Amino acid sequence: MNTALRLGILGGAALTLLVGAVCIGPTQLLDVPRLVDLLRSGPVTPELQRAQLVLWELRLPRVLLAAAAGVNLALGGLLLQAIFRNPLAEPYLLGLSSGGALGAVLALAAGATAVTWPALTGGLLIAGIVLLLCRRRIAADLPSLLLVGVALGALAQAFTTVIILRFDPGALRSILFWLMGSFAGRGWSEVWLLVPAALLGIVIVCVLHRPLDLVALGGESAHHLGVRVGLLQTGGIALAAVLAALTVAACGTIGFVGLMAPHLARRLTGAPHGMSIPATALVGAMLTVGADLAARTVLAGTELPVGAVTGVFGCLFFLALLAKRP
Amino acid sequence: MLQGRGVRAGYEATDVLHGIDFALHAGEVLGVVGPNGCGKSTLLRAVTGLLPLRGGEVILGEERLENLPAMERARRCAVQPQVEAPLFDYTVGQFVLLGRHPHRAPLALATGEDRAAVSRALSETGMNGLRERSIRALSTGEWQRALMARALAQETPVLLLDEPAAHLDPGHRFAVHVLLRRLAREQQRAVLCVSHDLNLAAEFCDRLMILASGRVRALGRPEEVLTAENLQAVFQCDALRVAPNPFTGRPGTVFVP
Repeated sequence: MNTALRLGILGGAALTLLVGAVCIGPTQLLDVPRLVDLLRSGPVTPELQRAQLVLWELRLPRVLLAAAAGVNLALGGLLLQAIFRNPLAEPYLLGLSSGGALGAVLALAAGATAVTWPALTGGLLIAGIVLLLCRRRIAADLPSLLLVGVALGALAQAFTTVIILRFDPGALRSILFWLMGSFAGRGWSEVWLLVPAALLGIVIVCVLHRPLDLVALGGESAHHLGVRVGLLQTGGIALAAVLAALTVAACGTIGFVGLMAPHLARRLTGAPHGMSIPATALVGAMLTVGADLAARTVLAGTELPVGAVTGVFGCLFFLALLAKRP
Repeated sequence: MLQGRGVRAGYEATDVLHGIDFALHAGEVLGVVGPNGCGKSTLLRAVTGLLPLRGGEVILGEERLENLPAMERARRCAVQPQVEAPLFDYTVGQFVLLGRHPHRAPLALATGEDRAAVSRALSETGMNGLRERSIRALSTGEWQRALMARALAQETPVLLLDEPAAHLDPGHRFAVHVLLRRLAREQQRAVLCVSHDLNLAAEFCDRLMILASGRVRALGRPEEVLTAENLQAVFQCDALRVAPNPFTGRPGTVFVP
């Protein structure tokens, strides 16, 4: 099957999932033709008002947010896997998400309500330290750079835990839930933050598709073919950090999507980034929207954190990947 | 085409190259030989800007290397690196097409010219039948030829190769050297080839440069350079003797244990 067709099918599936997640669910507003009828002609009934409210203020932003978060994390994973030449790299494992979470929790502890900038600072700080250690030759080779990220991520998580314990018990539950990743209770303001970031991310990564191919196949060769490898590494890690930190600011820490999406996409399209970038974005969106659906519906009456759902699947995926490596 | 003047380079506290002077001309194959660790690969890294110079200068075409933008450098000079295992699953065709990167705009699709260059590179390296094969499924020798095909697809006036025949069987080793000489003769390319095969180097290179401990021990035509004295001084192996090829008369070496 040719790659464009596969991408088309994937796009169709993603669209179906998005529409489904918006329109289908436990509430009673599912009769879409009737809804459209009502919107066109009928008087404004309380039923219609409620349906509109649910659709526009709850479902649609939630699904768009989930999709954008998936795209951001997936693109982050794709960038890091190419740059580190390591199929196990992703924003969560590299500590970028944990840095974002630490920044956000620090801000909340200080009484702030907006966590976007603190989260960005936290994510970029981790990326900066990783890059600085790379320049200082403390971790000159790529595998040890990745381990530095893992270590810094663990440190950030430790600090986050200590800070969280100082919150009063009332706030604790909601903060924990947010930290574990959730699209509940988010609105259009988060959508306006994440969706443009995701679109911009797709454009930048698409422009870089061939340099990413070359770097993924070897740093020295990439240099010989005209890629400014140091610049691409710095910029790529920074971009992954920004995308991950924005996602954390909007909906908490969601692990493993960045790991799974690029792999699944490469299975569909092959390794060249020209095709695997759009596929990775689509798969990422499908994973988070699907995980959100699962989080809302697996246990009746209880909503699970999305991060817990992706964590379960991601862990299995990670182990399968390790077992497959030569 | 490519000139080094007093090139000094190294890693961290160690200087590996202590002032290398050489000039590579269009239409010639220059062989670089020498013992392990003498600085052959470091020389390739230094003259391609991968390793910062600690002294001297490198001129590519008419310009100093550091003044050339990365993409312009890649349009003038291609490098076949030593073999390192690929991690991602590209087909041979996709991989060789990446050699066209310096000639393409960021989002441009491959043009007819790009495809023609890829086809030429594949057939010159005998890889035509493997175009759809995954690079991870290639033998080491095939992978080495794929690396060469990518460098050829770059279509640069200067071609630098780091042991291009290291993993090849005798037939392909010979074919690679024939190809290098043909590229120099017919297309006026400047070819520099690092090699451990003294006999093939002497047979096919117009000039040889012997490196020892980061310095040029000898540079000239093979019969001037491959002398018993030079070999003994550089390789320190009594069994290695100079013996001309009885069929071609070119200089060569044999082991006399």
